[in-house]
Amino acid sequence: MGFFKNKNKIIINSSTSSTDQIQESKDKNELATNLKENLKYIKDTLGESTDIIFRELKFGPGGAMSAGIIYTDGLSDTSSLQNFIMETLMLDFKNNELENNPNLMNHLKDFAMTVVEIKDLTSYDDLFTALLSGDVIFLVDGYTTGFIIGNRHWIERGVTEPVAQSVVRGPREAFVENLRVNTALIRRIIKDQNLWMESSEVGRRSKTSIAIMYIKGVAEDKILDELRLRLSRIDIDGILESANIEEFIQDSQYSPFPTVYNTERPDIVSAALLEGRIAIIIDGTPFVLIIPAVFVHFFQAAEDYYQRALMASFVRVLRFVAFAISILAPSMYIAVITFHHEIIPPDLLISLAAQREGVPFPAFVEAVIMELTFEILREAGLRMPRVIGPAMSIVGAFVIGTAAVEAGIISAAMVIVVSITAISSFVSASYDIAISGRILRFLFMLLAAVFGLYGIIIALIALTLHLTSLKSFGVPYMTPLGPFSAPGQKDTFVRLPIWKLLLRPSLISKNKTRQNYTKPTRESRGK
Amino acid sequence: MYKCLVVLLLLSLSLTGCWDKRELNELAISMALGIDKVDDEYLASVQVVLPGEVSPIKGSTGRSPVTLFQAKGKTINEAIRNVSNISPRNLYSGHLQMVIIGEEMAKDGISSLLDYLSRYWEVRYDFYLAIAKDSKAEKILNIQTTLENIPAINIFHMLKTSAKNFADTSAISFGRLLTDLEREGMEGALTGIKIKGDEKTGSSKQNVESILPSAFLKFDEIAVFKGDKLVGWLPSEESKGYNTITNHVKNTLGTISCPGEGKLSIHAKHFKTKLKSKIINGKPEIDINVKVEGNISDVECQIDLNKEETLNKLNKLYEEEIKKNINQTVKFVQEEYGSDIFGFGAKIYQKHPKEWEKLKSNWDEEFKDVQVNINVKVEIRHTGSIINPIQKNLKD
Repeated sequence: MGFFKNKNKIIINSSTSSTDQIQESKDKNELATNLKENLKYIKDTLGESTDIIFRELKFGPGGAMSAGIIYTDGLSDTSSLQNFIMETLMLDFKNNELENNPNLMNHLKDFAMTVVEIKDLTSYDDLFTALLSGDVIFLVDGYTTGFIIGNRHWIERGVTEPVAQSVVRGPREAFVENLRVNTALIRRIIKDQNLWMESSEVGRRSKTSIAIMYIKGVAEDKILDELRLRLSRIDIDGILESANIEEFIQDSQYSPFPTVYNTERPDIVSAALLEGRIAIIIDGTPFVLIIPAVFVHFFQAAEDYYQRALMASFVRVLRFVAFAISILAPSMYIAVITFHHEIIPPDLLISLAAQREGVPFPAFVEAVIMELTFEILREAGLRMPRVIGPAMSIVGAFVIGTAAVEAGIISAAMVIVVSITAISSFVSASYDIAISGRILRFLFMLLAAVFGLYGIIIALIALTLHLTSLKSFGVPYMTPLGPFSAPGQKDTFVRLPIWKLLLRPSLISKNKTRQNYTKPTRESRGK
Repeated sequence: MYKCLVVLLLLSLSLTGCWDKRELNELAISMALGIDKVDDEYLASVQVVLPGEVSPIKGSTGRSPVTLFQAKGKTINEAIRNVSNISPRNLYSGHLQMVIIGEEMAKDGISSLLDYLSRYWEVRYDFYLAIAKDSKAEKILNIQTTLENIPAINIFHMLKTSAKNFADTSAISFGRLLTDLEREGMEGALTGIKIKGDEKTGSSKQNVESILPSAFLKFDEIAVFKGDKLVGWLPSEESKGYNTITNHVKNTLGTISCPGEGKLSIHAKHFKTKLKSKIINGKPEIDINVKVEGNISDVECQIDLNKEETLNKLNKLYEEEIKKNINQTVKFVQEEYGSDIFGFGAKIYQKHPKEWEKLKSNWDEEFKDVQVNINVKVEIRHTGSIINPIQKNLKD
């Protein structure tokens, strides 16, 4: 599987050669003095789009000066615009000193604009970005500068319970589509001055805001530099979801295994930050990326740390076992039933043989049919309108379950194997790793059908080689198993009590010490 | 390009694909094999399972759960190969449970069969062998059984259970037989199996439809081999002795006479037998040391078990009983067959290899004169749920 290894070839669209340049002339970037001229230019550039609202007004003594207010309908808060900008300007602001004052703009900023967020505006580039992001543009006739007034407001989804990663015990907040809300959710958990944030925009047309969050001094600088480099290489017209970014920055493009973690839970992101990982928050999606992501990371659920250590360890082991089952169960069944009959106990062999009486297909074909049926059902269940759900589950259960067996097309044992596989694949803590298992399963099945158990062993060796060759931002994917790290074992297959996890994961964080715990002695207990 | 080539090359490996694949419904699973000798030819009887009848999914059709394929051949392999002519599916012997050898064939020598079975890669070494006493293997495999409806599995479990609970039968697996036969100074022995009742109805389904089957199989006596040939049988008591000497008793029941009148049974467990060889004046001697622990399981006489001396007395009585049994067995085998099925020679070979070199050539004769010293130590541990016997006159 080493063939799929791709040394981070990110396809770069050279921006200069692109024909898809945004049609703005570089020479006309400066604002004009004349308000009318400015407004006309904006109108023309935006194609007189109907959701852009232009409002011209007079202010100052006797209405001597005219100004223009431009905003995008639906993205700005009109009531605060009326109350804090228009009202102050038009009603309260009648100062004589204003006329022909060269410091007019500063004066306005200091005395008239009763809003928090305000920025100077000099170029059309900034104007359009701000305008289309929901800010209000304020221009005054006779001046080549204006204001960008932060006034964004639109209807958005509130913070709800996580859908993809739910817990029984633990915080019930999930990220939303708004970047600012998301960063706030993280800030609310970690109030450290070393939690730093870097913002940038990605996407030439979508101009999606993204933010990198990390804890200074804990996150590894090399990884951070590498991330900045990879992000800077992205040159695409639009980013719609964090997955778009993930594909640009991930290490192995064709590996079935994810090397970037994504989550919708602020507590998972915070835990990752505390471990020295780096979070990438993308506006417009509730899924936050975490790098570097190693194999075991995908088996650590949030709830592992909210349950008592014993239970958490049990569930953790169970998850690894289930992952193995979800990859191996059908292929093992095929191998044993077509090649290695001698390892089945006699009674079971006869029972299996009885079930296979009259089944027309070889076990492999049977398994592929069933697995494909299941994959189709699963996919249909995901994409279909929710209302049809029950109808489909009836059809599904009936088709794969009873009818296929009764018709003699499929043996009952195969239905059991496929069901166990399906259930096991849902146990994974992360949806991404479950998907990789889905693809690998078919590969294993093919090899099992051709070479029997030898094929499975070949596939397992190949899988191990592939996994150990993977890296996520320079961190070996199989750590703490791949390069073995003894302290790392405390939180791999089992989860020891929190007070025993003294160190952060090796190779990921710069500052290894997580806590200095000393076991209370008899003296320190005071008795 | 290079990668594509590697992938294509690797994929071409799968083109050889599935050459030794065998789907379960293309196999005739043979559970038991019977070998008889009929006029210089071997007759192979293969008991094959009809899976649909054993664990019916679509309902039983009333057929027998197994079927018997029979074919003759000049060699054993040929006979079994010839079965393919009448079986629609390939024979699969990986789960062979029992091999039954006809008495005639056993008298003629079983080395040909052992060679075939040990050469054949598909069979395991854990199936049991048995000799059809006064009968033919094909007849043994032609009896319907209850409880386990596959006769081969029924026989297999029957032998396993009886060997575990009683000392009279011997569950000898293929592996053990081979080692016994290969060992220097040891001869083989196999358990016998016979049909009780009406053989004719035994093969039909009728046999298992009534509460009391009209024919059933029973393990009885132990066949004594000399070389690869059957030379005779050990009666029940001597079979017990044989198993005691070879340390193959797990549980058994010993019945002794009470000091007064009446009888008493002891459930004996933890049988441990150790053989020791000695050479005295150039003559080999064997010490047989037996240690037994047991519980009193049935008292049909009036004794006071509260007293220690009673228990000591019972210990002594049972010791005598075992001693007598062993003595009788050794004498019987020495006099009747002169075949060292106990492995006395092997013991001497182990401990006194130099003397063995001298004895080896004439061991068959020497064996008949081996002096045997028997030491038995019995310890009765428990008396069951009650201590003293229930009095005949309860009201007294």
